[in-house]
Amino acid sequence: MKKNDLKSMGKSFTKYILIIGALLILLDFTFHRHEYFSFAEIYGFPAFFGFISFVFIVLLGKWLRKFLMRKEDYYDQ
Amino acid sequence: MISNIIPGLIMILTSFLLPTIPQYFRHPAMLLSVGLSALSLFNGYGTFLEWDILGLNLILYQSDSLTFPFSIIFHIAAVLVIIFSWHSKNLMEHMATLAYAGSAIGALHAGDFFSLFIWWEATALTSVFIVFAGNTKAARDAAMRYLIIQVSSGVLLLIGACLLLYQTGNHNLTVLDLTTDFGIFMFIAFGIKAAFPFLNGWLQDSYPESSVTGTVALSAFTTKLAIYALARTFPGTDSLIWIGAIMTAFPVFFAVIENDLRRVLSFSLNNQLGFMVVGIGIGTELSLNGTVAHAFVHIIYKALLFMSMGAVLYRAGTTKASELGGLYKYMPFTTIFCIIGAMSISAFPLFSGFVAKSLIMSSLGGMGMVLIYFVLFFASAGVLEHSGIKIPYFAFFAHERKSKVKEAPINMLIAMGIAAVLCIGIGVFPKYLYQILPYTVEYQPYTIDHVISQLQLLVFAIIAFLFLVKFKLYPSEIRSTVLNSDWFYRKMLPGIGKPLFKKIGLLTELIYENLRFFFRLILNKSQKFSNSSYIKVTTPSFAATILISILFIMLLIVLI
Repeated sequence: MKKNDLKSMGKSFTKYILIIGALLILLDFTFHRHEYFSFAEIYGFPAFFGFISFVFIVLLGKWLRKFLMRKEDYYDQ
Repeated sequence: MISNIIPGLIMILTSFLLPTIPQYFRHPAMLLSVGLSALSLFNGYGTFLEWDILGLNLILYQSDSLTFPFSIIFHIAAVLVIIFSWHSKNLMEHMATLAYAGSAIGALHAGDFFSLFIWWEATALTSVFIVFAGNTKAARDAAMRYLIIQVSSGVLLLIGACLLLYQTGNHNLTVLDLTTDFGIFMFIAFGIKAAFPFLNGWLQDSYPESSVTGTVALSAFTTKLAIYALARTFPGTDSLIWIGAIMTAFPVFFAVIENDLRRVLSFSLNNQLGFMVVGIGIGTELSLNGTVAHAFVHIIYKALLFMSMGAVLYRAGTTKASELGGLYKYMPFTTIFCIIGAMSISAFPLFSGFVAKSLIMSSLGGMGMVLIYFVLFFASAGVLEHSGIKIPYFAFFAHERKSKVKEAPINMLIAMGIAAVLCIGIGVFPKYLYQILPYTVEYQPYTIDHVISQLQLLVFAIIAFLFLVKFKLYPSEIRSTVLNSDWFYRKMLPGIGKPLFKKIGLLTELIYENLRFFFRLILNKSQKFSNSSYIKVTTPSFAATILISILFIMLLIVLI
């Protein structure tokens, strides 16, 4: 096995995901996507919502470490 | 004959017999008992066994369209756990697991609150041994806390059942509401086991401490039994919509920063329960179908994820993200099965999570509940974060691994393989799942709108992950403890209680010292008095002098 297997896997994974992402956005322009709420029908709304939610979750979680994170043996002390 | 035996009971009886069965035949015997219990699924609907005792009519075995899907999936889960633990020789754990699964199946078929209470406690008492099976100090401590909380839930259920009987004369399982006191007791009893916000600490505390195989069994039954009980007694209770929404959103943040991957899965379990609770809260036929469907597929993919992490723990000796990574080279099959579980829970189209979650989302959308709809949509991105990406990424990829490990044992791979096939099978052919749901509802999950919307959400969330990793914004894994609601009884209460009791102790000691001093004083005086020459004639003894002194003091107190 090559040493940089993981790196090359990561690169090709990123490439394919970006292509799929672009295709999904383009697909949105080819038909009218019916949603339960009209504002969700804006082009690429779920994509935008997914991206923002994910970043928000990770960054807020990271910030919460200040309050919620303790040493590993916290309960044994 | 077999139609009158409570489903699950045969599993419990077999568990008692296990010590007499040679090691080699134990697992086949366990499977056989599950198979015999599963014959009850062919009995159809109705009441099959009642028992008059102490003037009460207990319905020990009934089944209907709500128990049926739960009973099927509980049997499937029992089979998966038995195959997954085939390599293990831990007799106590096997006995506990089989009896636990049997009790959970028995509980589904209880027709009144007292029978439900008996099974409710039986699941607690059997499952605590599975937590014990972790066999570390942490596991033993967690098991004791687990037992206290689980039994408390049972006690609340019993109080509720007694109040119900006393006030209405009825004790059969019925729809309740929160305007009655017995309703509130039952609601909290079910809420503890369903891991409502702030009642959830026990779940993340105990499940990750159990053994390689134990966590898989634990993940399947207790919480889903609570979901069944809520669906049976509190459908359409509005507050459940909000409780469920909070449950979907909050654990997500904890899961991001948790280091132990089995604990991450426990937070994820909590979040999944939230979706089911929302479905119960809406209370329409579509949403209740969604809850049952979600519980059904969830048990399979959550078991699959816990099995993959169990295999990692078995081979690599830890599930701490900070110590793992790069296992894909050594455990390729486990990696693939884990990814299938991850894609199912993330609700990718063609995987089981998609066809179940869509039912709940559609019922929310159909009722115009915009805020809750988007909280759940947001939580879906959260599920992808912790279960879809974090679990497989940190365990199997992340960075190259230095030391070699072996692939999981064949029995584990078979169990994971069956679960993975079910995840994809249900995702591709959802009609078979929909057929066994409580209500007949025509529903098509695979519309172009649904599929594209969900794919956009998921793919762009993955892009967000790649973006965060690329710019080094993704939090690195740190060996740590993340505070959860169990902090209240593990740190806060002892933090207040210990000094308080110390103070009370000091105070009682002070009072005691003073009393002793006072008593000595009386003693000395009496001694002097009784020894003096002029009193000796009339006072018979030293004891009498003390008694007279005490009486005199009492008289004084009364007079004052």
